[in-house]
Amino acid sequence: MTALVVIETVILAVLCVLVAGLLRGYAAVLRRLHELDGGALPATADAPPPFRTAPAVVEPAQRIEGRDEWAEAHDIEGITLRGEIASVRTVGVEHDTVLAFLSSSCEGCAGFWHELAEDWGVPDGSRLVVVARGSEQESPSVLSQLCPPQVDLVMSSQAWTDYAVPGSPYLVVTDGRTGRVKGEGSGSSFSQVGGLIRQSIEDGKHPALARKPDADRRRERDIDRILLGAGIGPNDPSLYGPSEEEHR
Amino acid sequence: MSTSTGQRLAGHGLAVVLPARWEGRLYRRTVGAVAPLATGRAMPNAAGRTATNATGWAGEVSHPILHLANFALPAVRGDYGTGAVERMAPEHIFVALLEFGPDCLGTALYAPAGLPRLQAGQFNPNGLQRRVAGQAGFQHFFTEANRPFCLYVVIGSHQQAVPLTRQVNQILDRIEVGR
Repeated sequence: MTALVVIETVILAVLCVLVAGLLRGYAAVLRRLHELDGGALPATADAPPPFRTAPAVVEPAQRIEGRDEWAEAHDIEGITLRGEIASVRTVGVEHDTVLAFLSSSCEGCAGFWHELAEDWGVPDGSRLVVVARGSEQESPSVLSQLCPPQVDLVMSSQAWTDYAVPGSPYLVVTDGRTGRVKGEGSGSSFSQVGGLIRQSIEDGKHPALARKPDADRRRERDIDRILLGAGIGPNDPSLYGPSEEEHR
Repeated sequence: MSTSTGQRLAGHGLAVVLPARWEGRLYRRTVGAVAPLATGRAMPNAAGRTATNATGWAGEVSHPILHLANFALPAVRGDYGTGAVERMAPEHIFVALLEFGPDCLGTALYAPAGLPRLQAGQFNPNGLQRRVAGQAGFQHFFTEANRPFCLYVVIGSHQQAVPLTRQVNQILDRIEVGR
């Protein structure tokens, strides 16, 4: 009986050693996979893994960082026509913001002011904010005549500087989730540029784009840019491996 | 100011550092005259409306009002958030801090000292200026820095009062009242 217990104990001990070894090997595999996925870096959840080229492929000189194709958006601080000290968020919010940089004295702004008075409908899910220069450069009384009371107007010269506005009228559409500018330009009226604004906003909400994580889209954009910079365009033969016939 | 945090709103002896997503408006309602930024006479704007923000009655003295919200505040709002609270989603919060005249100092209503911190159980659907389905409100009168105030808070969802109250207290922690 004692011998049987001893044998069982030995078998149990051997099994324990085997299980521990298997678990250790499994942990090593998981750790290695995690490293390959870039998880070993102290990156934020949203950050893509570092860009690496395959062995024997020269790393491009162009850095991936510095995505200047999407300028940074800025929150707006200023004074409203009611004398309110205002803070308007355009970054870190769920909605897009249409910033209309207008002036009381510019002739090109007349169409915009006229349509604001006629209740121009801002695209769904977005917010319209008219941004005029500060009272040191702008006429609040004329703005009061031009801007309907229900329209949010903030006087902020700083915002004009932050967004590098070249002149009025000028429209900027910001993406509240990414904190980036998603479109900007000028025109003669809201209805003229409204289609482009709507397209820009609707594109952002489209499921085909919305399902893809930001990190993936950024990575694809970076790789496309680097490939194009190296003269490799879509369908370039170097993008594809040798065919089976060539192998033979 | 490119980040979404740390915006400081200051004026009229009040200041607040806004957390991410929060925005604010700080003003004194213009009474008995046109708005301070306007010319001095009311003129119709392009929409045919009168470009004056004058409200109240002649001789009325207005006091500072601070509006804070974790959603986009509309241009036109009542002092207690009319026009804004109707736009609130369940996760939204509206905070109004309204100062009253010095004649209120020492009265029983304003006897509580200091800007309060709230508990979820203090929110009540009947505590709203105007009842909106799902929302709950809280109103409290107090004196801080020898200035009489009313704090009025609306949360978008009474059912989520616990997490929303935590956010309310975080924003209240950031309000400074000067003397």
